[in-house]
Amino acid sequence: MITEIDSLIYQAEAEYLAQKDLGIFKSQILYLSERLKIYEQIRDQETEIFQHVINQIVNNFPDEPESKVKRAVKRWMMILRYCSMAMLANDSQYLEQRILEWLPEQIAAQHMQDLEQNLYGYLYKRLKKSLENEQFSVLQPYLEQSKNVLLNPKAALKPA
Amino acid sequence: MINVADLISESNIPGNYFAPNTYLQGDFESGLIENRQGGRLLALPETLIRGLYSGLFAELGSATGLVLYNCGRKWGKNFFRRFSEEVGSYYRQPVATMEMIELVQCLKQCWKAHGWGIIEPNFDHYQQGFLVVEITNSGFVNEITAAEQPSCFIEAGLLSAFFSELAETDLHCVQTTCESLGASSNLFILGLKKRLESVSVMVEKGQTHTAILQSLTAN
Repeated sequence: MITEIDSLIYQAEAEYLAQKDLGIFKSQILYLSERLKIYEQIRDQETEIFQHVINQIVNNFPDEPESKVKRAVKRWMMILRYCSMAMLANDSQYLEQRILEWLPEQIAAQHMQDLEQNLYGYLYKRLKKSLENEQFSVLQPYLEQSKNVLLNPKAALKPA
Repeated sequence: MINVADLISESNIPGNYFAPNTYLQGDFESGLIENRQGGRLLALPETLIRGLYSGLFAELGSATGLVLYNCGRKWGKNFFRRFSEEVGSYYRQPVATMEMIELVQCLKQCWKAHGWGIIEPNFDHYQQGFLVVEITNSGFVNEITAAEQPSCFIEAGLLSAFFSELAETDLHCVQTTCESLGASSNLFILGLKKRLESVSVMVEKGQTHTAILQSLTAN
């Protein structure tokens, strides 16, 4: 969103924006208010969402050491926070530079991929349930972008 | 039972401190570039680096490498101090207590954000007392032509000081391959000075990095 509005602002240097372009501007503002709602909802439901995720992990993988589960959950709390901001700003580069270039090697080195793969699955399902379909579809690309980079063993081996 | 509220308060760990679009900030009016904590940065044009090397070579001849290495050492000590302060305060954890993988990630991102190339430390020979560091697209050797020996002197000094501070042991650093000699990357071996004495000779004789490393680790 920020980038789309930026490009319109550049365009307006040479000429008044045409109705079509103003339409884009308006719709971006509407999207922004939608995205703000989603952001607030995720923020306010953080505890509940992750409590559910932890319960699922503890029930299905009782043998996983608590310290490992805690570490994975904390990491995904952080990832969801960054995904939410990237969604709000409509800026996947934000996510890429702050998190996706940063975490893959750490996850691989700590041998957390299997656990995090499952955690991601529970988180994904929970978010899908907590948000309305349309809201979830706005957040989804950022979740999947994170999953593809962070939980793909081949990507983790690639030098940053 | 894991308490979510506790985890949330502990999860406020930030991501990549060195994300370039945040780390580097410029002020057009004053013509300054700064990092995100307000530390001044210096932009080095290639012409200046080229001039520095050729000027030093004209003055000092074969001693150029040693002088640049020592400059790198001095820079590395200050660099380590600043790096530790910045990283430690951002992640609210002293560098000494960080996990090695996190620290290495910080160093890699820091190196990249400053435009010094891509750095990849390799700890495979750590048990034998050696650390290998690979740097690609070095910002310091591109312009040196007709080099006969590896010429990332500044980086070798910088690495030596950085890892010496980190390991709290005096480590030496010798470069074995160089982009200026047509290699795909610059490779460095770090270890105790005594154990690296033979390396410079092997490099001068034109031995490959793999052969040098083999001969070091075979002993």
